[in-house]
Amino acid sequence: MLSRRAIILSLSSAAFAGVFVGARGRLLAADKSVTIGINLPFTGADAHDAELIKDGAMLAIDEASAAGGVGGYKIEVMQLDDGTATAGQYDPAQAATNARKMVGDDSVVAAIGPQMSGSGKAMSPILSQGGLATITPSSTNPDITNPKFAAQYRPGGKAIYFRTVTTDAYQGPNMANYFADTLKVKSVYVLDDSGAYGVGLANAFEAQAKKRGINVLGHDQLNPKEADYTTTRTKIKQLNPDAIYYGGVAQAGVKLVKQAYDIIPNVIKAGGDGVYGAEILKGAGFPAAQGWYATIAAPNVLENPDAAPFIEHFVKKYGQQPDNYSITAYDAALVILDAIKRVAASGKEVTRAAVRDAIQNSHVKTLQGEVSFDANGDIENRVISVFQITHNDKYPSDDVLHQYKYVGVAPASS
Amino acid sequence: MTETGVLLQQVVNGLSLGAMYALLAIGFTLVYGILELINFAHFNVFMVASFIGMWALQLLGISGQSRVLTGLALAGSLGFAFVVTMAAAGVIGVVIERVSLRPLRGVGGTAGMITTIGVSYILFNVILLTVGAGSENYPNPLPVHRWQLGQVVVELKEVLIWAVSLILMAGLHIFVSRTRLGKAMRATAQDAEAARMMGVDVDRVVVTAFFLGSALAGAAALIFGLYYNYTSFIIGYTAGLRALTAAVLGGIGSIPGAMVGGLLIGLIETLGGQLIAVRWTDVIIFSILVLVLVFVPAGLFGRAAPTKS
Repeated sequence: MLSRRAIILSLSSAAFAGVFVGARGRLLAADKSVTIGINLPFTGADAHDAELIKDGAMLAIDEASAAGGVGGYKIEVMQLDDGTATAGQYDPAQAATNARKMVGDDSVVAAIGPQMSGSGKAMSPILSQGGLATITPSSTNPDITNPKFAAQYRPGGKAIYFRTVTTDAYQGPNMANYFADTLKVKSVYVLDDSGAYGVGLANAFEAQAKKRGINVLGHDQLNPKEADYTTTRTKIKQLNPDAIYYGGVAQAGVKLVKQAYDIIPNVIKAGGDGVYGAEILKGAGFPAAQGWYATIAAPNVLENPDAAPFIEHFVKKYGQQPDNYSITAYDAALVILDAIKRVAASGKEVTRAAVRDAIQNSHVKTLQGEVSFDANGDIENRVISVFQITHNDKYPSDDVLHQYKYVGVAPASS
Repeated sequence: MTETGVLLQQVVNGLSLGAMYALLAIGFTLVYGILELINFAHFNVFMVASFIGMWALQLLGISGQSRVLTGLALAGSLGFAFVVTMAAAGVIGVVIERVSLRPLRGVGGTAGMITTIGVSYILFNVILLTVGAGSENYPNPLPVHRWQLGQVVVELKEVLIWAVSLILMAGLHIFVSRTRLGKAMRATAQDAEAARMMGVDVDRVVVTAFFLGSALAGAAALIFGLYYNYTSFIIGYTAGLRALTAAVLGGIGSIPGAMVGGLLIGLIETLGGQLIAVRWTDVIIFSILVLVLVFVPAGLFGRAAPTKS
């Protein structure tokens, strides 16, 4: 009963909003505006990295606004927080609420986010039904864009979940290849943090590691709310693997990095992009973080000379160094702005549906190169970059740019 | 490592964890014994205290793990941090009682308990909004020392945990069994009405229970920080829930019960994680709790029936 009433309510409010927007469109043609939603976990363990992502996106939007808007439209931002105090990190329930909020506001034509795949899974069905496209600068779980799960994550039909990073279908397996080829690892113990991203990444890694003949000695889960990982640590020490691989985000990651340090020495320790970020450096500190490998699901642009003006601008504006996901966020914003511009230039009204179609057909020159998407919304450029945490005491110890040393690209599976 | 070696190592891990739970569980049990109230604010008194301990250490110029102290400097700085943290936590406990619970004394039902949940959220959000949500790299001046005892490695940190816990628990035992105020506490726990008629100042007893319980939570919080080199605004929930479970397992209201319950929960957690899987830890802990409550409803050391009618 309630749901029927909710449908009627939302239909009538949508109709009302349509009338309202139409009226406003006619009356205030001089200063038309559209809104870009930004949904990131500003509360909780990933707040710092969420901030870096937001700053990257805002830099592009502010640059566009300073240039007088896009295609005659002023760009507004609706910033939402999907982190909650109870979860202590991203909270899928809050992400779903935020998705409804964005879908419910007709002026929102596209969105940036979420940071985390767990939120992405909760948001994508809602965004799909609302026809609202989002571009995630960092969430890498492949299921969300996998056509196999379209009924679940894309009930509206068209792709609405775009990425300026590639997925864990490459991040995990490519790192397994790096383990086998470059690090010559023979045995590994796999851990995840029981979140959507962590489990998917760890499983993808494990499958490829087995394929490459690496002996997987075990796979266990860490509870991110738990503080004590000594049990796991003792277990791993007993099995004496060459390496451990952790799929998960910072909340459990920080504690794992701390507690794995010096009890399981001479073991290669690695994780995905959950281990890449200021939160790990700040929370775990040195020497505990020293030597950890991390990957990101994007090319390493920070050391590219083309990115130098961006970095300079970023540091000047926000007083801290960007990380690579600040760049993918900047790129995501560029893609959306470009899509709005193309829709406006074609003389059509800048609507959600038009912007989605324009994003789908993007060929945008960004910091990481030309961004284009396949039919599912995944980026066509699939690069996994590997970093190793190497203490550089000339820079602050939570400076991502200078404490993560780029060591190369993880090879794709042949 | 051999199979037995690993199990023994997990026992060592479990005892360290259990000692922390025990210190925290005593706070639940002291308050429950006297007011028959589960104090959910205790979860986050523990959390706030871990930050106070961190600031106390930072005040001494210790940050991160880079500065290692030995001898008198170490004892002095740790002693300072313990005194400050325990005193501050104790005062927080007393203030919570005075401001939010005393006005509700005599109001029946769950009003008091619900209030403590509210206070718990206030403490939680105060830290979240002032300090922020990141994990803190907890200052630790302890040198890394390890002793190989047979197949087991024991760390200096663990010895510190055991020593501090033993001293505090022994101190509490002496206080409760030997002093006048301790006697008044026991009398109030047995029958508050009768104790009041015999001239016991019940308010003072309640304040003492809150102070002692919270101060022990403060000690547990500092130990927690030093052991894991970590704190964050969310640590109260898991640790508090385990400690409450320990108190119930041991028989809530019973001080020895809280101590034994804490150690048992610590051991169940580590051995269960080793023998089954860490992902099942909570299932194992709470299954055992359910079984104990089914067969021994008052807990291992609890009184068989409530004294109040």
